[in-house]
Amino acid sequence: MFERFSKDARTVVKQAEQEALALGSPTIEAEHLLLALADERVGGPAAALLRDEGLDPDGVHAALERETELSLAVAGVSLADFTLPETPPAPRRKPRVAASTRRALERALKTAAARGDRRIGSRHVLVGVLRAEVGTVPRALAAAGVDRIALATRAESLGG
Amino acid sequence: MTSTTPTHPADPADGLAAVVALRRLADRLEDAEVERVLADGWTWEQVAEALGVSRQAVHKKHARRLADQIPGRR
Repeated sequence: MFERFSKDARTVVKQAEQEALALGSPTIEAEHLLLALADERVGGPAAALLRDEGLDPDGVHAALERETELSLAVAGVSLADFTLPETPPAPRRKPRVAASTRRALERALKTAAARGDRRIGSRHVLVGVLRAEVGTVPRALAAAGVDRIALATRAESLGG
Repeated sequence: MTSTTPTHPADPADGLAAVVALRRLADRLEDAEVERVLADGWTWEQVAEALGVSRQAVHKKHARRLADQIPGRR
């Protein structure tokens, strides 16, 4: 899958693994790609685009936490009812690539193909993440008041 | 199929998102609680029985993760 990925896009996926580890997640999810893209050392122009929407790494973390609270509330559950350790548990093993990430990367490939771009860059990965219609990322973005579709359209027109 | 229970979310996506969030919360709780009871001196067999799974399952899931924190337990 990664043959056509640029160095930048590969760096995003590697950083997403670090984000998963930092959060104690056994899997690399699409939201970890989003966190990696929001990191300006990693995401480049994609990070600048996200920052303009208030989605710097802290903003993405806040949106994800809000999404968790809202989704738990559907089941009448609040995180405040639980005592969880501040630091995430040590990982059981190297995080695996989850289906949400696989789907985002497949959409990145399709986006590049549709535009005639030979290499997959960070911006294609961002479009792939933003084009998910259901799941944690679109819910987190909605919770943060971000227009996901408009943002994806802007990401598509990014250079590089 | 006209009746819905009061707890049934209006948007089906909300119901599924709740499942995802609960699963992740349950995983985090399991990690924290297993670590706590092992530190309190529970055996793997006791943890497994309390969780309703086999000793092999609980060991496979947590032993390596906790090898550093719980000295002397393999």
